[in-house]
Amino acid sequence: MTITSAGTLAILIAAVALVTLVVRPRGVSTVDFYLAGQRVGVATNALAICGDYFSAASFLGVAAAVYVSGLDGVWYAVGFAAGFVPVLLFVAAPLRRFGEFSIPDFLGRRLASERVRLVAVGVVQTVILVYLVPQAVGSGITWQLLVGHGLPGLSAYATGVVLSTAVVAGLVAFGGMRGTTWTQAIQFLLLLGALVWLAVAVAGSGFHYSEAVADLSAEPLANPVHGDAGWHLQPESNQLDPGAPATFGQPGAAYGPLAQFALILTLVMGTAGLPHVMNRYFTSPTGTAARMTTVWVLGLAGLFYALAVMLGTAARQQIAAAVEHHPWLEELTVDGVLRVPEHALPVLGRIYGGDSGLAVVAAGALVAVMSTIAGLLLAAAASWGHDVYERHINPRATQSQAVWAGRASTVVAALAAGALAIAMQPDDPSPAVPSIVAAMVTWAFAIAGSALTPVFVLAIWWRGTTAAGAIAGMSVGGLVSVSMFVVGALPVGPGLGETLVTPTLVAAPLAALVTWLVSRATTPPADVERQWLVLHGTAADRHAERLARLTIASAEPTRRRRGRGTRRQGDRDADR
Amino acid sequence: MEHDDDGVDEHDTPAEVDAAFRTLRRVAIAHFVLFLAAVMGVPALSLTLGWWSGGRLAGGMSPGFAMAAFGLYGFFLVIGLAAATLSSAVEARMLGGRNDQGTDYAGDPYPSDGELQ
Amino acid sequence: MRTGSAILAGTIGVTWAVVYLVTQVFVSPPLGVGTTVAAGTVASVLLVLGYPSALRGPRAARTLRRWSQPRGGSDPRPGPGPGPDERGGEGRGVERSRRRIVAGGRRMPLRSGLTADAARRTAELLRPLLGGDAVVITDRERNLAFVGPGSDHHQAGGLVRATSVRSAIAKGRTVVSRRASSMGCDDPDCPLRSGVVVPLVVGARVVGTIGVFRTHDRPTPRDQVEDMASILSLHLELAEADRERKLASDARLDALRAQINPHFLFNILNTIASKSRTDPDEARQLLLRLSDFFRYAVRQEGQLAEFAQEYFFVRTYLSLEQARFGDRLRVRYDIDPQVLTAHVPVLTIQPLVENAVKHGLADKVEGGTVTLRARVDPLTRTTSIRVTDDGVGMTADVLDGLGAGAGATRAGTGARGEEGARGGVGLQNISERLTALFGERFTLDIQSTAGAGTVVEVRVPLR
Repeated sequence: MTITSAGTLAILIAAVALVTLVVRPRGVSTVDFYLAGQRVGVATNALAICGDYFSAASFLGVAAAVYVSGLDGVWYAVGFAAGFVPVLLFVAAPLRRFGEFSIPDFLGRRLASERVRLVAVGVVQTVILVYLVPQAVGSGITWQLLVGHGLPGLSAYATGVVLSTAVVAGLVAFGGMRGTTWTQAIQFLLLLGALVWLAVAVAGSGFHYSEAVADLSAEPLANPVHGDAGWHLQPESNQLDPGAPATFGQPGAAYGPLAQFALILTLVMGTAGLPHVMNRYFTSPTGTAARMTTVWVLGLAGLFYALAVMLGTAARQQIAAAVEHHPWLEELTVDGVLRVPEHALPVLGRIYGGDSGLAVVAAGALVAVMSTIAGLLLAAAASWGHDVYERHINPRATQSQAVWAGRASTVVAALAAGALAIAMQPDDPSPAVPSIVAAMVTWAFAIAGSALTPVFVLAIWWRGTTAAGAIAGMSVGGLVSVSMFVVGALPVGPGLGETLVTPTLVAAPLAALVTWLVSRATTPPADVERQWLVLHGTAADRHAERLARLTIASAEPTRRRRGRGTRRQGDRDADR
Repeated sequence: MEHDDDGVDEHDTPAEVDAAFRTLRRVAIAHFVLFLAAVMGVPALSLTLGWWSGGRLAGGMSPGFAMAAFGLYGFFLVIGLAAATLSSAVEARMLGGRNDQGTDYAGDPYPSDGELQ
Repeated sequence: MRTGSAILAGTIGVTWAVVYLVTQVFVSPPLGVGTTVAAGTVASVLLVLGYPSALRGPRAARTLRRWSQPRGGSDPRPGPGPGPDERGGEGRGVERSRRRIVAGGRRMPLRSGLTADAARRTAELLRPLLGGDAVVITDRERNLAFVGPGSDHHQAGGLVRATSVRSAIAKGRTVVSRRASSMGCDDPDCPLRSGVVVPLVVGARVVGTIGVFRTHDRPTPRDQVEDMASILSLHLELAEADRERKLASDARLDALRAQINPHFLFNILNTIASKSRTDPDEARQLLLRLSDFFRYAVRQEGQLAEFAQEYFFVRTYLSLEQARFGDRLRVRYDIDPQVLTAHVPVLTIQPLVENAVKHGLADKVEGGTVTLRARVDPLTRTTSIRVTDDGVGMTADVLDGLGAGAGATRAGTGARGEEGARGGVGLQNISERLTALFGERFTLDIQSTAGAGTVVEVRVPLR
């Protein structure tokens, strides 16, 4: 690492940290801490959702998956981008209108059951932890490449993990969500900026996308493997057509026929159950705004993933061509193919931008990791502090006690994720999964999509959902998906293993079925009609919009309406 | 506009909300089926139709790769925008309406604010 | 072809062109012919099915204007629409008939719309409703009714004595008095100390006032009185329009006359008055809804309106009836998203629903459910609206009587008394208007089983 890259990196990170501190909220109440006052505009909110959502898995992982497996890696991009369509269709507006802090809060109040809330907290915490680990792994990998050596007593990888989780945990605990909403948005812009710069640089160097795909598809796809005789390239076997070689532009390099669908479905269903993304919806001013926010997110996500796929393709072609001009690539590649596919974007950055380019991409990666970790830690803090501590451990907690409970849980979650990431250090990227980071994120999507999404969607769209049904559904979905992971980790034969690590195809319908059956046998909450008015009626939205118009129209802003308390009061009024 | 801004909370009746709910559910399911067909159709076509991954668009990319690399994201945006505008339009037309109705009538001789002068 | 079919055909053509280019020209080797045709067919079917829902959003407001022109003759003209001149001519026709309605009466409409007796009933109803100690209804010179303390010197039929009332008539604006001095009663012993006086306006003319007085210094909230005044004004305007109906050939006024009648107003005012003691918030909501209801009815100008507007009218009406009938009246709407922007004849659905409530459910002790189902059939390009009730139903001969024309209808349903006859007029009127609009291209079906309920279904071309 040179002075240039260190300097660029330091400046970028410092800028983000500065923004966090400058927009730090003054008065800290739990509502402020968690909700940023519900005054965040649609666009800012969309950017912030993107900042939460686009993690290391998206920035490094998607390009890496495309780099390794070609078209089969593109399914990651498709699945990640598609996930917001079900969110838009089924979740965004009703969730916002119901006006609760978090997924457990929503389920708990909707089904009038504290047990549902606690089970949901359990599932949410599992999802968060499983999602946190690959982010920490991603930052470890980035540090490894960028700095190369660690703090005394720690490996380079472990240093990356420890530093990123510690810094973000500190920012979340003391910045509050107001800070992170803006930083999420700014971090996403930085991330997108890095990607766009790289795409422009690649395109400017005469890269032709369509021809590159054709060129790469012309010969069999082969990736480095560490064997007895050191590193060598080994052709990928075609999962669809065992006789033929796998190529870049054809499906089959990584997934069998069923696994292709299973992967996409897992990612599609998972997004609606991701706690850190769903929590953002509570900061939209109205249900309609939540819906439009999602449209923005779909547009931004489409742009982001189209670029990431293109850059993965470009990396495959350009890095091989650049090896002879860039001696430093020797130790990272085998015959022009990177050993660790997650290095694809940073290496591309260094080829086109020198040390500063590397630093920009590395900053993008670290920022992706940091913003996602921040969102996850915040969701963890919200569900521990709000759903468990304030309701069950210390119901008479003061505001400051609740905030401290949130901060403590932030630190605990960060510690757990860091420890797991160090324990799971990927020494030797296995060829079975295209990208370790993207694959690990898939697990979180699988649990969320199997345990939370079916119950969540049923609770919104079916009056008959009951607390017992929801508990049964979440338990079945969670257990089935986790046990399928475990079975999938055993050697069960080609093709089946990939299907088992993306269990939503089986687990989600099962969870929905169990929820339905158990709900049919039990009685739904008595006030379901009243809840329906709040979930699907727009009275509170119209009221809020009118108040907003009035506030804008009146010359002197009415003080008593400016608090978000009034807004929430409006929700409560509509309940009655 | 003086009196009905402040004093009145907006109000939906259960029957109206139920109607809007079922209409929106229909919208959501129809769009979801379309979405699922597209997103599952791309890998399905590459398994079944040789042309899908064997054909060459100008330059050499196959239709399947082009769809997965950028076509689908455009489709997601379009279907999302369609669903969002349709849902919002349905909600605006099926719920509330007292204030929204007035905008269609310029020079309304019966102003909705009751300030008959 | 006026219904946007040309656009649909064009879109399908473009789709086929795109399919052809993508599968045959840009790609080598081209896709097989069979597969290409299959892909194009799937795309076309999706387009035809999804097309009606594309007719939404901002365009709706513009098309609404175009369709609000009433059309003479029975058959809609084919082609992209009448020329501007022609339309302008029709527009002037509307203007003329409306002006006649507004400016026609020189007599005091309050006397014919709300007689002194009706004014007294109204004032008695409004006194608890508006929380006043005394309520006065005047025309331009005299008190028509005065209820409450002070009626000894403010007699009904006597000249207006309070200056605040006179100034409200003169200025045409609401006058709020907070002290006895500004009330301006010439009797020093008058117990009334504060009051709100709102003019009643028909068109642009002040035809009278309604005043709510209190014996202490805090007047009734002004907005409540103004809401009530606007409802009464609309009602007076309707009464006037009703009288002018003989002059106007517009069949729409028939519908207005049939639907918006004093019975309904007094029934719902009674309901609101009783709610105002138990649940003032709900009473206030109902008052607003009532005001919406009358406003919509009066300002519908054309022959066709967006279904969403008619739906608004129907649910406003039904929410008022629900307040009156309570749990006995259950409502279920089943509405296609596409149908919301379709254009349907104005003031046709609410009469059907009103018939279902009045004749189907009102006589049934345990009450029942009214279902409004609206669908668009994209293949036959029709809008179908079905009103179902599970009320008392009709026997076959009553049903036959309904179908046998106006005279038979009025006589045939005589057993049901005046209300039944009016229901018949409603159906007759709807049928006539549909014929005028669509010629033979509509259906109006009524099925009924005594004791099991009635189904009325209207199908009109999709607009």
